[in-house]
Amino acid sequence: MLLKSVEYVRPDSVAQAIEILNSNEGAALLAGGQSLVNILKHRVASVDVLVDIATLEELRFVESRPDGSIEIGACITYDELDHSELIHSSHEMIAWVASHIEDQQIRNRGTIGGNCCLSDPTNNFPPLLVAMDATMNIQSSSGMRQVRAEEFFKGYLMTAIQPGEILKSITVPPVPADVGIGYVSLSVGEDSKAIVRSSAWVKLNGVVQEARVVLARVSPIPVRYQPMEEALRGSSATPEDIARAASVIGSDFEPVADSHGSSEYRREMARVVAKRAVLEAVEKVRGEGGSK
Amino acid sequence: MITQSATQAIEVTINGKTYRRVVESRQLLVHFIRDTLGLTGTHIGCDTGSCGACSIIMNGKLVKSCMLLAPQADGAVIETVEGLAHDGELSALQESFRDHHGLQCGYCTPGMLMAATYLLRNNPSPSEEEIRRGIKGNICRCTGYVNIVRSIKAVADGAQLDMGDGVAKEV
Amino acid sequence: MSAASNGRTATRERVTTWTGQGIPRKEDDRLVQGEGSFIDDMGMQGQGYAWFVRSPHAHARIVSIDVSPALALDGVYAVLTGEEAKSMCQEPFFRIAPGAASHIEEWPLAVGKVRYQGDAVAVVLADTRENARDAAELIEIEYDPLPAVVDGVEAAESSAPILHEEAGTNVAWNGVFNYGDIDWALENADHVVKIDRLHFHRFSSTPIEAAGAVVDWDVGSGVVTIHTNHQMPMFAAMFMGPTLGVPINKFSFSSRDIGGAFGTKIGFYPQLAALALLSKKAGRPVKWTEYRTENLLSSTHGNERTFLDIEVPVMADGTILGFKTRAYDDVGAYLHYEPLGGVIWSQVLPGCYKLKHIKVDYSATLTNKCPVSPNRGYSRMQHLWLIERIVDTVARELGFDPIELRKLNFVQPEDYPYETPNGCVYDSGDLPRSLDMALELVEADYWRARQKELGKGKGKRIGIGVGSTLDSGTNNFGQARIINPELPFSGNGEAAIAKLDLYGEVNVNLGTSPQGQGHETTAAQVAADILNVSPDKVTVSIGFEQANNSYIGFSGTYASQFAVTGLGAVMGAAQKLRDEILEVGAYALGLSKDEVELSDGVCVSKNDPSKSIPFIGIANLVYTNNAVLTPELREKVSLTCRYVYTPPFQVPDTDRKWGNLTLTYASQIHACVVEVDEETGEVKILAYAAVDDCGRRINPAIVEGQVHGAAGLGIAAALYESFDYDEDGQLMQPSFYEYHVGTALDIPHIRTSYIESPSPFTPNGAKGMGEGGGGALHAVCNAIQDTLDKDDAIVYDSHNSWERVYDLLKSGERQAPRGVSVLSRVSGS
Repeated sequence: MLLKSVEYVRPDSVAQAIEILNSNEGAALLAGGQSLVNILKHRVASVDVLVDIATLEELRFVESRPDGSIEIGACITYDELDHSELIHSSHEMIAWVASHIEDQQIRNRGTIGGNCCLSDPTNNFPPLLVAMDATMNIQSSSGMRQVRAEEFFKGYLMTAIQPGEILKSITVPPVPADVGIGYVSLSVGEDSKAIVRSSAWVKLNGVVQEARVVLARVSPIPVRYQPMEEALRGSSATPEDIARAASVIGSDFEPVADSHGSSEYRREMARVVAKRAVLEAVEKVRGEGGSK
Repeated sequence: MITQSATQAIEVTINGKTYRRVVESRQLLVHFIRDTLGLTGTHIGCDTGSCGACSIIMNGKLVKSCMLLAPQADGAVIETVEGLAHDGELSALQESFRDHHGLQCGYCTPGMLMAATYLLRNNPSPSEEEIRRGIKGNICRCTGYVNIVRSIKAVADGAQLDMGDGVAKEV
Repeated sequence: MSAASNGRTATRERVTTWTGQGIPRKEDDRLVQGEGSFIDDMGMQGQGYAWFVRSPHAHARIVSIDVSPALALDGVYAVLTGEEAKSMCQEPFFRIAPGAASHIEEWPLAVGKVRYQGDAVAVVLADTRENARDAAELIEIEYDPLPAVVDGVEAAESSAPILHEEAGTNVAWNGVFNYGDIDWALENADHVVKIDRLHFHRFSSTPIEAAGAVVDWDVGSGVVTIHTNHQMPMFAAMFMGPTLGVPINKFSFSSRDIGGAFGTKIGFYPQLAALALLSKKAGRPVKWTEYRTENLLSSTHGNERTFLDIEVPVMADGTILGFKTRAYDDVGAYLHYEPLGGVIWSQVLPGCYKLKHIKVDYSATLTNKCPVSPNRGYSRMQHLWLIERIVDTVARELGFDPIELRKLNFVQPEDYPYETPNGCVYDSGDLPRSLDMALELVEADYWRARQKELGKGKGKRIGIGVGSTLDSGTNNFGQARIINPELPFSGNGEAAIAKLDLYGEVNVNLGTSPQGQGHETTAAQVAADILNVSPDKVTVSIGFEQANNSYIGFSGTYASQFAVTGLGAVMGAAQKLRDEILEVGAYALGLSKDEVELSDGVCVSKNDPSKSIPFIGIANLVYTNNAVLTPELREKVSLTCRYVYTPPFQVPDTDRKWGNLTLTYASQIHACVVEVDEETGEVKILAYAAVDDCGRRINPAIVEGQVHGAAGLGIAAALYESFDYDEDGQLMQPSFYEYHVGTALDIPHIRTSYIESPSPFTPNGAKGMGEGGGGALHAVCNAIQDTLDKDDAIVYDSHNSWERVYDLLKSGERQAPRGVSVLSRVSGS
C-alpha cells in the first residue's frame, strides 16, 4: 500500500506532458491508475515522476470518421465506452468488453489507453484491438505516428511507445455487415482474471473470406494464431469447420503457466475459447448472435 | 497545471466540507481520507484494489480510494459513508441493510453502501443480476452476499422481495 | 415447504419473549454509518508506525543483519531484530506439544533461521507508514538458503530438511485414534472400498479487515496496553505473558469492532509480542496495520490435510462399518495453536453416521509454509470432508444412491443422545429430515430430471451433491490432554457481568470479542427477557476491555459456542441481578420478594400495581442512599453480578482418547446443483440450499446470516481459493490479485431453512453454531463427483479449479488412475 516517494504533476496539455516526459527520465504517465497504482504499491517498478493525464480533454473523446471507423481518446474510461451511444451503434463489442472488465469501480477509472499501454497479459482490450486491426495513434514532440495494434504490444509491460511518446488515441476500423467479432474468456471468476482468452474477427460471405484469431493469456502479449486463420479461410464456417480449424492449435504452442493454469491446460483451453470466439463471430454475421 | 513536486497542496470537498492540506504526492487517497482527515468510515481490506472496502463516490463516480493518489483528488467532490445519513436520519439503504441483516462484521459495509448508492442512482430498479454486478467489486466474507442483495433489492423501485425462497423468512 | 409445518419445529409463536426473535441488531446503526471503531481507526499520542521485515526465502540461515542504513533514514525511531527481541524475553512462547516438538523454541521474531517465506526477521518503527517501509527496505540481510519442504507427507520422511533442529523431526505430534475393531471389520465386511489419497487444501477465509494493533509498553507503570483485533485476547495474553515477563494484570487488552476473523485472528500473538518489545525499546506507542499481502503471506492459513490409504468396510446392505486412514496435517512452520488440531477433529469422529470401527493414525507435520491456526470449521471440516467423500465414493463404487446411503447410515432421531465410539455425546437432531428439506429446497427432483435429459456429451453436465455436517460447539478443553497429558486444561466457560448502573441503566459485559456475530443484540435479548425490559434498554459493552469486562481463560469468540457459553453466562448474571433488584425493590415497597416482579424497568407489586419503584430508585438505594437499607441488604447486594457459565464436562481418558469433547452438535445439511462445462471444466452453481439445526435459535436472522456466510466461504474455497507453494516454498497467491475471493457474481443465492431440535444439555436449548462444518465444500465436491463417468477418477481434492475438474472429466478416456478400488466378498451387488 505504501509507495516510494514520487513526484506528481498534472500538465494542462499533451504537449506539456510530452515536455515533462522528455525532461524526466524516470517519468511515467498516470491515466486511470487501475494497474499502475498497484504496481507502485507493490514497489515492483521505480517511477520518479507521475504525469497525470487522466483529465486532459485532448485525450477524452470518441468520434466517428466518414469511413465508419471510430477514434477513441486514450483516456476514455471503460464505463464511458459502455455508455457511448456511438460505440454501441457502430462497435458493439468494444462496449461489451468494456462492460465486463472487473467491476464498476475499475470501469469508472480505468482507461482504454491505460489498458493497452500497461500491456499486462490479463488486460481485456489488447486481444480485441489486435483482432479488430486497430491503429494506435502515438504523439511525440516530433508529431504523430501510427502503429498497428498487432505491432504495438511488445512484451510484458512493454509496448511500441518510446520515451517521450504518448498514446493519444486508438482508431478502430468499421465493422461492416459481413464482419463478425467474437470475444470469449475463460476466467477464474465471472468478469475476473482470465485464464485464457480469445478474440476473433471473421469476414464471411458464404465462406470465410478472411479471419483473425487472437489468443491472450497464453503469452506475454496477444498473439494471432495464423494456422487457425488459414484453416478457416475458404471454409463454410460450420461448427465442425470451426472446431477442425481450432484443433490446429497444437503442441508447437507453449503457453505460460501460473497458479491459474498449467501450460498444457492453457493450450487445450486456447482451442476451446478460439473455437467459441470464431463461432460467436460467425453467428453474428449470420444474424444468430446473442446479446453481445 | 499542477507543478511537479513530491508534495502537493490539495483541496478536496468531502460530504460538503472543504479541506485544504499539503500531502506527500505518494499518499494514497484512502490514507488521506482516513489518517489525515480522520474520516475512518472508509476502510482498507486489500492492497490490490480487489475488495472495494475503500469505495467512495468521487465527482459522481464510484471509485476505490486505494487506487488513487491523494493529489489526483485535488479539486474533487467526494462522498463517503459518513455523508449518507442526514441529520441523524439513515438513508433508505442504510436502514435496509440494518433491517435485512445485510451486514455482520460491518467492515465491508461502508464500501458496499457506497456501491449500492451509486448503483441505485444510475439504475433505480435493478434486477438481482444487476445488483450482483453492481457490487461485484466489493467483497464480503460474512454474508455470502445473500442479505446484501436482499437489502438493496428492498429499496429498489418496485421492489418485490422474492428471491425464490420457498421458506418462511424471519426478517 | 413451510418450516412451521414441521412436527419438531419450534416456530415464531414465542412473541412474548425477545429470545427467538430476529430483531435488527444493536450494532448496526453505528456500522452502517461508518462509525464502527476498527483497529486501524485507533491511535495513540506519539505513536510510530511499524513495518515487519519478512523473509523472501522459505528456509534459510540468517548470516547477518545490518540495520544501520535503516537507522540512518530520517524519521526512523527504532529497529528490532530477532536476536535482540530474544534477549528482551524471558522464555520462548508456551508450547502445547509434548515430546520432541516441546523443544521447539519460537520467539517474537525469527532467530538464526527463517522457516517460511514471510517469516518476520525484524521490525521497524518510523514516523510515517511510508517511511517505515522505506527503512525496512534498507535493512541488509544476508541469507544462506536451505532446501525447503512444502508437502505435509514428505515432511515426515527422514530425508526431509528439518525445520527445527532442536526437535530433530518435523513431526510435531502423532497419535493413533483406534475405536472398535477396524481390522475385524475389514476382514468381515462384504466390501472394502480403498481410496489411495484424499487432499484437503490450504485456504483462509480472509476477513476483510486484516490484523492490526496499537501497542504501548509504559515503562513507568509496567503496563502493556494492546488495542488489537485479536479474537481471543486473553489466550494471547497467556501466551505472551511468560515470554515477555509481563503478569496478566499488567496487560491491558482491548478491542472494539472487529472486521471478521473466522478463527484466523487467533494466531498472531508473536506479532503482538514483537510490537510490545519494539514499543519498549523505542519508548513510544507502536501502530501496526497489516495489509493484505502481508496477511496472506504470514498471518494465518487453514489446516491442509492429506489422507492416505483409506479403507472402508461396507456391508451388502450399505451399512458402512467404519474406516481407517493415515492423516498428515500440514501445520506450517510454527505451532501457534497446533497441534490442538490433532484432537479437535475427533469431536466429530464418525461424522453424521453410526460408524463403529474407526482408526486414524494422525500426524501433524511442520513444513516451510505459513503457520496455520483455526479457520472456520477448524479441524472438523477437514475430517467431515473426508467422511463425506468416503460416503459418496462408497455409493459410487458399490452402486448405492448417495442420498439413501446417507439416510441408512445417519444417526437417527431416536438415537439421541448418541454416544460416538470415542465417547462424544451427540445431543439431538433429525438428520434424515434435514436432508429431505435441503433436497426439496434445492429442487433436487427437477434437477435430477434435467440431469437425465441432458446426459453427457452435450457440452454441459448437471451434478447434484449434498454435504452433511456437524457443527460441534463448546469444546471440552480437556481434549488438549489427549495431545499432551501434562497440559493443565479442561472444561470451558465464559463470564459475564450484569449490572444496574447509577441511574438505573442495565449493562451487560462479557469476555467475548465478537466479529460480526451480533453478541450485543443476542445478549441484550436474553437479559431483556430475564429483567423484563426491552433490549433497547440493555446496553451491552462493545468489544472487549480487559480492565472492565469479565473474563476467564477460555474467553473469546471462537469455536461455535457463544449461544451456549456466552449466553449461558449472561443468563446467570442477569438472573442474579434480577434477584438483587427484586430483593431491594421488595424492601423498598415493604413487601416480600415473592410479592414483587419486574416489569418494563420497574419493580412492582404483583397484587397492587400502584406500588412500584423504578430501576433508578433501586440504583439510588444501593449506590447513593444506602443508609436507608438494612446492614444485611448492604452486605448482600451490589447490583454488579458476575456469573461464570461452565459446561458439565469431565476430564477425558487420555490413554483411550475417550470422553465427551464437546457439549452440543448443531447440524447443517447442504445441497448443491452444479453445471459443469465439459470442454473447460468450469463449474457453475445452479441452485444451493442449506438446512440448519442449531437447537433453539436466539435470533433467527443472525442464525440464518451465519448459515449464508459459512456456505459462501465454503463455496469460494471449493472452487476459487487455494494457497499453493512452489517447490521452493514461494507462495503462488500472495495477494487478492492471485487469490481470487468469491464475489457477488461467483457466490449463488443460498436458500435456507431450519429445524430446531433443542439441546437437552444447555441452559437455553441452544447449540453453538456458525462454523458450518465446511458443508459447502462437501456438497460442491459431491456435486462435481456426480457429473463424472464411472470410469473417471474420483474427486480427490477439496479444491476444484477448472483445470482440476477438466482433468477429472478427461481421466476416464486418458485411463488415468482412478484412485479407488473395491474388494468384494459377496456377489451380485
